[in-house]
Amino acid sequence: MGKYILKRLGYMFVVLIILSFLLFLIYNLVPSNRAYTDANEQVKTMKHLTPEESKAKFNELYKEYQIKYGTDTNNKLVRYLRWVGVMPNARGDYIGLLQGNFGYSYQEKDDVVNVIPAPMKNTVIINIFSTILALGITIPLGILCAVKKGSRGDKFVGVFTIIGYSLPVFLIAILFIWLFCSKLHWFPPSGMKTLGVNLEGWAYIKDRAYYLALPLITMTFCSLGSMTRYVRASMIDALSLDCIKTARAKGVREKVVIFSHAFRNALIPIVTLVIGWFLSIFSGSLMIEQMFGLNGMGDLMITSLRTSDFDVIMILQVFYVTIALLGNLIIDIAYGLVDPRVRVNK
Amino acid sequence: MSKMNNKETSSKKRGLFATLGRWFKRLFFGSSRELEDFDPVSAAERARQADVEEIVSPAMQVFRGFVAHKGAMFAICVVIAMFILVFVGPLFMPNYDDAYKETTQKNIRPGLSMMSIPDDIANDIKSVDSYGSFSVGLSNSGKVAVWGDTKLGTTGIDVADIPEAVQNANILYLAAGYDHIIAIDDEGHVYGWGNDRLGQYGYFDETAYPNILSMPEDIANGATVNVDDIKELECGYQASCILMKDGSKIIWGNKNSYSNLDTISLNPTPIIDIDFTLNFVVCIQEDANSIFTGQRGMYTKVRGDLDEDTVSMFEFIGNRKIVSLSAAQKDVAFLLDDGTVGFSGDYSLNEVSMGDFEDGEKVVDISSGHHHHIIRTNLGNVYSCGDNTWGQLNVPRKAESADHILSTGFQNYAVDENGKIITKWGLKGYIFGTNGDGQDIFQRIINGGKMTMTIGAVAVIISSIIGIIVGCISGYFGGAVDIFLMRVTEIFSAIPFLPFALILSAIMGSLPWSENAKIFLIMCILGVLTWTGLARLVRGQVLVAREAEYVTAAKAMGVKESKIAFKHILPNVISVILVTLTLDFAGCMLTESSLSYLGFGVTPPRPTWGNMLNGANNFTIISNFWWQWLFPAIFLAITTICINVVGDTLRDVMDPKGNSER
Repeated sequence: MGKYILKRLGYMFVVLIILSFLLFLIYNLVPSNRAYTDANEQVKTMKHLTPEESKAKFNELYKEYQIKYGTDTNNKLVRYLRWVGVMPNARGDYIGLLQGNFGYSYQEKDDVVNVIPAPMKNTVIINIFSTILALGITIPLGILCAVKKGSRGDKFVGVFTIIGYSLPVFLIAILFIWLFCSKLHWFPPSGMKTLGVNLEGWAYIKDRAYYLALPLITMTFCSLGSMTRYVRASMIDALSLDCIKTARAKGVREKVVIFSHAFRNALIPIVTLVIGWFLSIFSGSLMIEQMFGLNGMGDLMITSLRTSDFDVIMILQVFYVTIALLGNLIIDIAYGLVDPRVRVNK
Repeated sequence: MSKMNNKETSSKKRGLFATLGRWFKRLFFGSSRELEDFDPVSAAERARQADVEEIVSPAMQVFRGFVAHKGAMFAICVVIAMFILVFVGPLFMPNYDDAYKETTQKNIRPGLSMMSIPDDIANDIKSVDSYGSFSVGLSNSGKVAVWGDTKLGTTGIDVADIPEAVQNANILYLAAGYDHIIAIDDEGHVYGWGNDRLGQYGYFDETAYPNILSMPEDIANGATVNVDDIKELECGYQASCILMKDGSKIIWGNKNSYSNLDTISLNPTPIIDIDFTLNFVVCIQEDANSIFTGQRGMYTKVRGDLDEDTVSMFEFIGNRKIVSLSAAQKDVAFLLDDGTVGFSGDYSLNEVSMGDFEDGEKVVDISSGHHHHIIRTNLGNVYSCGDNTWGQLNVPRKAESADHILSTGFQNYAVDENGKIITKWGLKGYIFGTNGDGQDIFQRIINGGKMTMTIGAVAVIISSIIGIIVGCISGYFGGAVDIFLMRVTEIFSAIPFLPFALILSAIMGSLPWSENAKIFLIMCILGVLTWTGLARLVRGQVLVAREAEYVTAAKAMGVKESKIAFKHILPNVISVILVTLTLDFAGCMLTESSLSYLGFGVTPPRPTWGNMLNGANNFTIISNFWWQWLFPAIFLAITTICINVVGDTLRDVMDPKGNSER
């Protein structure tokens, strides 16, 4: 097991390097020269310079900034290695990701390290809550539909699930905002908390819950469709197994058959889905955060994309890829844990 | 078997399309008939077989199973209808233009009432006026009616609520601006209703409101004007003017919408005629033979018809005199005392010219809408020129017998000498309303659907080409090739889809490429990010098919490996591929609309169902202008739901295990 995980981690590492290098190349397609912009700005702030002096000063600063950003070479591989931090820049310093230098956000006027934690915290909180909510609803619903397959209730849920997974997230969000905020006035349309008020303790939690309720409901609703379908399908497969027939023939109570025999068999594909889905939710909540004005990773990413804040985007991208790769690994391991027939070290 | 092989080789000569066609034929009708061609069974034999049991191909079985699902059949009909609608529909909209914008038609509610003049005044009409979403009509007996979209945006004001005083009074003059209405009764009282926040009517203190040229205080407070002296009442965007017979005028309104309001107001020279374009007040001064705006160089170039070259105003007029003028939004038409008409101002290229007059034909009167002019001559002929987006220029035959024609905004009403409306033509309204740029949502849905579906289809084609090739090669050859290709597939499937697509299109979007290249790029991005599922599926199917007997037979006959993979195995797994393609198509459409919604896909003014919803990302629009997001959303939702239903049903009926259980 340990060996397998190590092997997978090594493989993951290779993929991460390939992907980040590809992304790095794509970013370098964008015609932007940060050293030039910075040098230009700094020269502008200096007063009492003759044109010759300012030109000389600019050239000096330009070189300095190029060295600082590691862009004094056109070799993309060298630039990439400098960005990662395994190759020194022209001054012989190692300043890259490995040294903890994640870059500088021009939009927030702060180091990326300081920009990311707050949104990440929010995103993780929202996602954990919505995952719990969605699982709490979909698993019982899926089981119920599978057990009562073909009944009126099953068909009704079936229609809803197909609608649920055919609609894009933002559409459902618009619909909910219209219904709950505009017509019923139950929830605020956007924001994280009541502005200009400092609350503590219980009141703080209540305020947060008031603002996060609608995004959570929307996110949960969006995931209901595909999850319910999946649980139902794997449960139906499990219920048609021979062991279920045997159990029933032996006179085991139906409840025990469903929850002990069938559900454990159905769990295998469900576990895959749950983990994969939990990880994909980091990118799924991108839309929700954007729509409800929540200060999360997705919102940060879209703002950065709009303002071309590339240091932040690079880090976020690496984060998303890492999450996805980790997810694959966890799925494989979880497979082995849930299903004794699968031996992961093979 | 050898005959089968002959068939294969002969089909090779017939080319790719014949082969593809045969696959499809086999998929839906089975290959039994092909066999019949060269292995004929006697008729009696066939009849005997039919007696025993009807043998159908798997594809036929699938087809029958599919037909048995009523919901799925309905869904496929809807999908086909949607396809026809978005690909054929634009052909019926020759006047549609992506970049069309109309300031006066913003955020109009769905409805077709913009030309529905109420019956009680239609037989006794005196004047009709319209500037924005609604029209006002005045009957000879002094009655006022308002029709069209009368609720004004987010203000909550309904101009159809005519003040009681106006209803009781005998109104003589009536005019409508963008969001206000001005009326003058027979005693000289001036009434105003509608929006009054920007100086449209009422008294505003000059120091407190520097951008408003106020209505005179006494008139606003109920003082009367001498009705007998009034020549005309005109309303512009958010301004109004009462012109007196002696050439003086009372003018007021929002200076932000009309920058030369002050200049005109302070100019003491008597004027003959006054009108409002979208941004300027234009008038004819008694002594100067030109169009006066208070600004140099405006309306100095004139043409006799829209397709003629411009000459200077001085040269064009010579020793004739301007009698009256009639302003559209960007241009002004004016009438000279010898019955000639001249046009001055900006014209877009797609505007239609008036055509030639008969000999000795003289223009009697001009009436103008927002972008068109209707010209009536002494012979009773009606000419029209300008923009024909809403059919404003399609003058019906009946209009030739009219006494005069009332043109306002985008509508025209031909009136006979008794004040009865003979016929009307122009814009009826917008069936799905308009958006914040004044664009017709219905037309944009049809044209945007074309873009959305094209992007989805091309993306799916790209992804299926990659997926099928990778899957076939990987599954058939196995070994190192398989391992390598599956690693590549894993890398691609590890990419988090939406963030990655966002980043790619944002970065590519900042490159200096043409609009079409960017759209193609979006298709490629979607295609390249979605092929992994299909590749895995095809690989799995090929792995199974590889062991089948017909493949062994083909191998034994010495058929080339690549040919076995693509020509023998692929046709047998094409049904599975079709299902995935269907579901992927819906998926790609959704992703495209998500990207466009966030502003990283196709950008306006080019419409797609996604970026039409982009306008709906703020709360004001969501809660007030429901039609702007609801209609595109419905179209997008129905299409994707139906495609998914079709895909699901196909998958269900293709799975024999699922079938037996049902």
